[in-house]
Amino acid sequence: MDTQSPSIDLTIPSELGYEKIAREAVAAFARRFGFDHERIEDLKTALGEVCINAIEHGNACVPGLRVLVHCECGNDRLTVEVHDRGVKQYLAHGPSARIEQKVFGSAPLRGMGLMLISQLVDDVGFSHNPEGGNICRFSLERQQIHANGTRE
Amino acid sequence: MLEDELSVSIRERDGVSIIDLMGDVTTFAEEKINSAYAQVTDHGAKQILLNFRQNDYINSAGIAILIGVVTEVNRNGQRLAVSGLSQHFQRIFRMVGLSQYIDIYQDENEALRGFATAAA
Amino acid sequence: MTSSPNDHDQMHPERVIELRLPSRLGYEKIAMDAATSLARRMGFHEDRINALRTALAEAVTNAIEHGNAHDSAMRVLVMLTVRPDELIVSVADQGRNLLDPDKTLVTPSIEESFTKADKGGWGIWLIRELVDEVEFSTGPGGGNQVRMVIHLEK
Repeated sequence: MDTQSPSIDLTIPSELGYEKIAREAVAAFARRFGFDHERIEDLKTALGEVCINAIEHGNACVPGLRVLVHCECGNDRLTVEVHDRGVKQYLAHGPSARIEQKVFGSAPLRGMGLMLISQLVDDVGFSHNPEGGNICRFSLERQQIHANGTRE
Repeated sequence: MLEDELSVSIRERDGVSIIDLMGDVTTFAEEKINSAYAQVTDHGAKQILLNFRQNDYINSAGIAILIGVVTEVNRNGQRLAVSGLSQHFQRIFRMVGLSQYIDIYQDENEALRGFATAAA
Repeated sequence: MTSSPNDHDQMHPERVIELRLPSRLGYEKIAMDAATSLARRMGFHEDRINALRTALAEAVTNAIEHGNAHDSAMRVLVMLTVRPDELIVSVADQGRNLLDPDKTLVTPSIEESFTKADKGGWGIWLIRELVDEVEFSTGPGGGNQVRMVIHLEK
């Protein structure tokens, strides 16, 4: 019996526009776990932003590179990781940066992208892939947790 | 994982037993479709309409189930029709040959008119 | 950067999307939605998109049920290759059960189905009927591979 959380993996060309395919795939995955339409829209928007950042920043628009999306769902929580090839690093080597560091510009994320993402998902973080490249990881619960702790 | 589940409901209009199929028609639909068919047949249905939703996913396992229903319909001397199928799935039904045994209508009202004309 | 995007495009006119799915029925919908969104972006007519959607559903379902025999440790690999004039979709399983090539040539008949207990066998035939080119072979990993092509009409 498969005790691991079910997951899908997707790689796309590192070119703007292909993140839309990733959005559809991840949305279809989330639908299988009972995520409702609104939550799925949040997921798609967040993923789109993260992928665009990977394409434009992490991969620095270098043609021929790829972006990997790994998505898994367990215990009502969907976790997404987006990997790029790290042509540009988000951070100097070190622990995952916190959202505050991002907001104050230590690690760019396309203008308002990070502000938007952090309101849509339950947590987001960045790290280095020991094999090279950046990883952006975010997760969301099936029910959105509001700032005051209530769920809907 | 609930997303693919088919939900089936039965109602009657103008002497036609209508089986509403909402969701995917795949291998998981077998029991529900067969038991809905059995139920209306037990109640003496002679005219049966399978009412689909446009965007539903029907795969070859679903087609096999429908062929099974047609087998029984032929055996029981009933008349079977479908409505609500997308153009794409109407084409699939024709390709498979189901259209020779099932009347295909665009929507429920057209189907009911069709049944009334056939019965007249 | 050592090469411009145009140089790159000329040397590499195709783009590939890879999707790995668990061998569990229902997951074919993820492949279907990904392929649909890609085919739409490429400008395919809605009829061709629906045809691809159904063909891909059958190919992935076969890979899950037959090739990988529902083994949750095995994956189904779907590769979507975008070329200027066509979309190539290949589905590969990890091959517990290799497909008998004779089965890929069967044309089922509904009249025969009425008399048989097994009313199935339509999947492979549907794939053949719905796409422009199809090839059944063994993939690099040793499992079954189906390669389907739809041509972009301009």
